Amino acid sequence: MTRSMTFSLSLAVALLLLSAPPSFAQETDDEALKPAEPDFTLISLPTALRLPKYKSAFRVTHRFTRPLGSGDFGDLVADLFGIDSGAAIGLEYRFGIVPSGQIGIHRTNNRTIEFFGEYGLVRQGQRLPLEIAVLASVEGTNNFKDNKSPAIGAIISRRVGAQAAFYVEPIWVNNSNPLPKQVVDHNDTFMIGLGTRIRVRPTVYLVAEASPRASGFKDGVNHASFAIEKRAGGHQFQLNFSDSFGTTMAQIARGGSSSKDWYMGFNISRKFF
Amino acid sequence: MPTLMIVLVLAAGLTAAACDEKLSKLAGPTPNLEPTFSSIQAQIFETTDSAGRRACIICHTNVGRNPSGGLNLVHDGAYDQLVNVASARKPGATRVVPGDAENSYIIHKVEGRPDIVGVQMPLGGPYLTDGQILILKRWIALGAPRN
Repeated sequence: MTRSMTFSLSLAVALLLLSAPPSFAQETDDEALKPAEPDFTLISLPTALRLPKYKSAFRVTHRFTRPLGSGDFGDLVADLFGIDSGAAIGLEYRFGIVPSGQIGIHRTNNRTIEFFGEYGLVRQGQRLPLEIAVLASVEGTNNFKDNKSPAIGAIISRRVGAQAAFYVEPIWVNNSNPLPKQVVDHNDTFMIGLGTRIRVRPTVYLVAEASPRASGFKDGVNHASFAIEKRAGGHQFQLNFSDSFGTTMAQIARGGSSSKDWYMGFNISRKFF
Repeated sequence: MPTLMIVLVLAAGLTAAACDEKLSKLAGPTPNLEPTFSSIQAQIFETTDSAGRRACIICHTNVGRNPSGGLNLVHDGAYDQLVNVASARKPGATRVVPGDAENSYIIHKVEGRPDIVGVQMPLGGPYLTDGQILILKRWIALGAPRN
């Protein structure tokens, strides 16, 4: 499932990024809704959406920890598809500090705190049919006291009209392996995030993403996730299914435990502008 | 562009500031333990640690006695008693197989695996921590050099 999903996403993203655009309308009003790119994240991976200066956004993430494949269907229904189980929860807040530049904090309930920043370098428009942003983050376990894992990367995206957006995100994560470098072969991970958001109804989207690890530490299976999403004003309500609980860069780099285990979850985000 | 420079400098700073998980934390009661033979000799074989895990050479010595299990871990002879040397008690087992921690009998003994002859080491416990065993495994995985 993960491998086929990754391949399909790769193919779709490659075709869309390379195809000639019908038109390159210059969009510089960052407060205006971009129907093809309504949010700052896909499921766990970031988008290139710019946050207007002095505006902000909030997000909560949930990944229920009961594998959907555990037991029979009756067991699954009895557990209300995992909602009865515990969850990996994340709270996030981001703020636009300069035009095209945003910073934020994301904390997960395993006491990992991630600080991140993103800067929009190139707008999709007449010069280039791509939007390009750079990102940097550093996260630490135990409330940022232990195990610091910085990450840097780029977000290359392509919006296709108001219907879809596609993403390629090469990201390098340092110290993705929680063990000391003296006892492991690989301490870093280079991954290529792939993702898409397709607008199937005026306010309904299908979202998918995967993060195949190209080199370095490759514990478990590659992170992969798909979702259905509803936009309601400044809110995005997303029901998602993932093979990992990762919502920070190092967590995504570590992947999931098994390709057989998928988990239900949800994201809710709110833009304050 | 000045903003971009700020972002890039910040990213570089974050990367430079990042610190790896400390080996000493993993090593627990033997904070100076490293995946080298000299360190394992000093910290595991010859030293009783702060958790009460006893030094191996209390029993595995030829000083005043016959070494337990036919294994002598005193300073000058330990390496030659371990690496590519067959177990005296379990036929077909090799104490340390360079590059192959999983098939090194010393790992089976300190982890107390079901296939061992006799009991888990150190005798009666406290046993090596998971972190100490991981460092021991790493030395073996690196080829068990005489370093």
